[in-house]
Amino acid sequence: MVTLDVRPQLLDTLSALRDRVAAARFPLPLAGAPRARANRDELLAQLDDYLVPRLKEPEAPLLAVVGGSTGSGKSTLVNSLVGRRVSEAGVLRPTTRTPVLVCHPEDHHWFSGMRVLPDLTREWVPHREPGDDLFLPGETPARVLRVETADSIPRGLALLDAPDIDSLVVDNRVLAAELICAADVWVMVTTAARYADAVPWHLLRAAKEYNATLVTVLDRVPHTVVSEVSRQYGALLTKAGLGDVPRFTVPELPESAWGGGLLPATAVAPLRAWLLHQAQDPGARAHTLARTAQGLLDSLKARMPELAGAAAAQYAAALRLTSAVETAYDSEHARLRGRLQSGAVLAGDALKRWRAYPLDCSAGELLDALVESLAALLLCSVTAADERVDDTWRREPASAASGLTDRDPSLESAEHRIGLAVRRWRRELEEYADDEVRELDRSVAPDSEVVAALVATGLLGGRRTRVAGERLAERIGAHGALRLRDRAGRLLTEHVDRVLHAERERRLAPLDGLDVHPEPQAELIAALSVLQKER
Amino acid sequence: MTAVTDHDHTDHMGRMDHTSDYTGDYTSDFETGPTKADPTPAAGREPVRESLRESVRDRVPDSGAEAGRYRDGTARKHADTGGPSREVHEATEAPEAPGAAEAARVAGATAAAATATATTAEIAAGAAAEADNVPHARVREQREPAGDDPVTGDDPVTDDDPATGDDAWDDGLIARRVTETAKAAAPAVETRGPGAPAPAPLAYDGPLRSRLDALRELVGLSRTRLDSKTLAEAGRILDEAAARRRLSGQHTVVALAGATGSGKSQLFNALAGVAISETGVRRPTTAAPIACSWSDGSAALIDRLGIPGRLRRRPVHNPEADAQLRGLILIDLPDHDSAAVQHREQVDRILKLVDAVIWVVDPEKYADAVLHERYLRPMAGHAEVMFIVLNQTDRLPGEATDQVLDDLRRLLDEDGVALGEYGDTGATVLALSALTGDGVGELREVLGQFVTERGAAARRVAADLDAAAARLRPVYATGRRAGLSEEARDEFAARLADAVGATGAGEAAERAWRRNANRACGTPWLRLWRWHQKRGVPPTGRLQKAQPEEEATARQRVEQAVRTVSERASAGLPAPWALAVREAAVRGSQGLPEALDELAAQAGLPPGRPPRPGWWPVAVLAQAAMTLLQVVGGLWLVGQISGVMAPNLGVPVLLMVAGIVGGPLVEWGCRMAARGPARRYGLEAERRLREAAAGCGRARVLDPVAAELLRYQEVREQYGRVTRTGAGVG
Repeated sequence: MVTLDVRPQLLDTLSALRDRVAAARFPLPLAGAPRARANRDELLAQLDDYLVPRLKEPEAPLLAVVGGSTGSGKSTLVNSLVGRRVSEAGVLRPTTRTPVLVCHPEDHHWFSGMRVLPDLTREWVPHREPGDDLFLPGETPARVLRVETADSIPRGLALLDAPDIDSLVVDNRVLAAELICAADVWVMVTTAARYADAVPWHLLRAAKEYNATLVTVLDRVPHTVVSEVSRQYGALLTKAGLGDVPRFTVPELPESAWGGGLLPATAVAPLRAWLLHQAQDPGARAHTLARTAQGLLDSLKARMPELAGAAAAQYAAALRLTSAVETAYDSEHARLRGRLQSGAVLAGDALKRWRAYPLDCSAGELLDALVESLAALLLCSVTAADERVDDTWRREPASAASGLTDRDPSLESAEHRIGLAVRRWRRELEEYADDEVRELDRSVAPDSEVVAALVATGLLGGRRTRVAGERLAERIGAHGALRLRDRAGRLLTEHVDRVLHAERERRLAPLDGLDVHPEPQAELIAALSVLQKER
Repeated sequence: MTAVTDHDHTDHMGRMDHTSDYTGDYTSDFETGPTKADPTPAAGREPVRESLRESVRDRVPDSGAEAGRYRDGTARKHADTGGPSREVHEATEAPEAPGAAEAARVAGATAAAATATATTAEIAAGAAAEADNVPHARVREQREPAGDDPVTGDDPVTDDDPATGDDAWDDGLIARRVTETAKAAAPAVETRGPGAPAPAPLAYDGPLRSRLDALRELVGLSRTRLDSKTLAEAGRILDEAAARRRLSGQHTVVALAGATGSGKSQLFNALAGVAISETGVRRPTTAAPIACSWSDGSAALIDRLGIPGRLRRRPVHNPEADAQLRGLILIDLPDHDSAAVQHREQVDRILKLVDAVIWVVDPEKYADAVLHERYLRPMAGHAEVMFIVLNQTDRLPGEATDQVLDDLRRLLDEDGVALGEYGDTGATVLALSALTGDGVGELREVLGQFVTERGAAARRVAADLDAAAARLRPVYATGRRAGLSEEARDEFAARLADAVGATGAGEAAERAWRRNANRACGTPWLRLWRWHQKRGVPPTGRLQKAQPEEEATARQRVEQAVRTVSERASAGLPAPWALAVREAAVRGSQGLPEALDELAAQAGLPPGRPPRPGWWPVAVLAQAAMTLLQVVGGLWLVGQISGVMAPNLGVPVLLMVAGIVGGPLVEWGCRMAARGPARRYGLEAERRLREAAAGCGRARVLDPVAAELLRYQEVREQYGRVTRTGAGVG
């Protein structure tokens, strides 16, 4: 027999693990991301709603959650077990939208607080006359847990009537999954018409995977076919490896039909007796608790690596996106450098101006044309890089994350930013030229604008403008010309690098904003191994 | 029936690519068709069929459904039914030529009965093949030589020898149609199963047909742009529509679908009046689909669903019910929600092929997510061919049935399924109990009416078409206006002009002209001074002109211009077409900078010397005169000073002053006057470059882009034709 041995260290490591799980994020829309998110939420629900509170307080009442398909008679079953109408039953599907928890009045304090199911607000109904109309229409806000007390339920046991697991109402399905996660005993209700449905079987398989204490109820079986259906169902269970699960059959009675009333006590007596035994016999109770808790702890061994794997996939995808950006910008940067060297700036308008200089063109005009041409070259490089990034990203499913591709049409602003940077370069270049000119001790100092234009031409025109260097040397001396050229060249490289870097950072910013790191993977695995050690 | 699928294939492909080839093929079908359509032997065989029918009728009570199952008839069954049928069998089997002739005659006859378009002859051939498997191969053999041999086709022999080609009717569509209706009414029932009229193939009405054609064309047009996965669904719908059209239009295939335990089989049995489908408490009960046909001639339709012969049944004989549900083929499907995955696969497969669906739900399961999310929501457009039946009302107390029915209607409404209430078209919602028979009569009535209308198949195809069109919407339409605006074109031209440096070139030309003018009309003294100045200044860029320029055009600007224009052009387009436009632009832009280089070199400056205005010589003359005045005045002064001439200060000083003041005055005047022509000259140079660049860009980039846009526009219009609403019932 498994027993539950709880040490404070275990609780500590468990809550550390819980924090790691809660911190795991899967923002990139990869194929496995929705699944991973669901897994994470489920695990978190199980840890928060079940495992941690259970390990902290093993003496708390046993919680049996009644779950199953829509229309399988869960509410009728709970009502019959309690002996009075506590949960709404009816013919319209889905009937139960607000989960109802029923317990002994003295156990009430266990459930009125936020010990379990902290996400659900409690709706406390102290006492109601049986004749009262229980159900006001349109009263149910989302995420409410109604707590009912009934003397007919023994101490140490609580029943929870969960919404259906397969109805059209998505909230119901989510809530049902969450509630089932909180259970000590999973009571799976199915019917003669439904026992082969796919959805409930997924749930049964999940119960088996987590090794939870499970009991199945075959509800609403017409009298005539009880034995046959029961046998069939048993065979299916055995085939699924669930042959040893306690199985109860509740016949379809006129009372069970459509919530008219309660089933006779005899119909649910075996189930009731089984539940009472689980709750009241200390041995059985300990076994039940330990089995579900240990099963959950065991299941962590498989589920944490799964989450870690998903986190790693996220990181890998983010890395691929990042490297696509870096590659694109790097190669464009290299191309840009090559073009600068070969004098691509001195083309078009700038070239025409240079040809006309100095007879038909002033130094200022030449400098203007050069600066404009340089801005065009930079803008071209940046947009080309962006285009390459877009191309690569189009093949990546992860790039569909919001904010990554639907950038504001920032081409204009890129143009604006580049224009600013280039104009700043020009200003600084003119200041350098001023400095050089001022240092000269000639009587007729050359115009600093001419000097700046010549330096810029020599710098940006490549081989074609060697003559500009010569003319510069004539004006401010070979030494000064060389020095000025070097300084201006460094300045140019610096500005170009800065522009491309800024644009790359802008492109990467939304990706960085998603906060996908390699750490969660390692942390999840580490938390799991610490937990394994503590057990 | 491999032959049918084979046809299906060729038919589709043929119409896709080479319609003209294909009409030839059709013609060959027809050649064999009317050729053998001779009433005499048919009348002779009539008694045989009568006796065969009787013999089978006799057998029906004995072997029950077993006998009926093969009523539509394979050769094997004919052989089993004994004497009379063997006669037919032999008649079809006996000599090579008559056997083929017979089958081929049916082909012609059925086509005639349908009074359909040319294509139906082929369909009818398929139907004939279904009637008898054995001669079918021969029909095909026969047909091929007929098609290959035009001599037979032109042969004008019109005698009553059924084996000779009588091809008076292959020359025109209308003529052919007329004679076929006239001639073929009698033998139309040939070699059918007993009592089975040859089912006329389905005919879609005009709008639906044109929509199908539009979709086919659309698929053809966009095959190069879209991947086959996107088009697969449309292709499948076309295939299914073609396959369905080839088959009986008299029948309506209705499937009973629902969750496990909802009572599909029970309802199936209730409608058939006999326990055909196994019912039980074991879940899931039905593992394979079962077909039940209320009238003959349905074999091909059931074949299409892939239901084997052993799962085909006949309802219990009941004249009243038979008349009501005549033409109904009911399919009992396995469940769609049980743990048995292959059941779901079967359901999914067959649901795509049937004409209408009866969804059977029960009070327990009517709100299941599987039903609504997996089936009803995606099929909401098929509401007209859907029935939703709430079964097992016997399990509900009193007024709860209405409550549940209302809730079900609400859910269906939320799913987007139009409900056929208050005379609207849409899904029919009924409540019944197959167990007690409550409400089954009503369903039978509704179903009978539905089947008699014979519109389900076409409506289903129309709904499929709508669904396919809706799915394809993102790749064809974006709701935004697409196209290359005049603004974008102008901007592109301006960017190219920038790239070649048109502005700079123009300004330089203007200034050069003005400089020349100034030099020409300047005072000689000024020119002398300038000449002196220039000697000291080393030349700059002007001397570089002599060098061959390898990159006069700014590559980056061209690249950016192409990028911008392609982005503008593809702005409102769906992704695949946007990509195509961008590719066209990039392809066009290759070599564009080089071409612009060349252009700039050619068109950069006007050939020869810059034009000179007519007043120039006058100005030069005036300037010379001014200089002369100065010189004359100077000499005169010198002469007076040296005493050679009489002292008269006034006149020479006046002359000299006039020369000195007049020279610059003339120069200034010339400068003012030269401004206009210089400007014109510069603008002219700029315009030439600009136009050359724009022309080059238009030819290389804008035209391919516009062509690509036009292609998209064409496809978009074709898509518009597909989406045009209006279901076809023919």
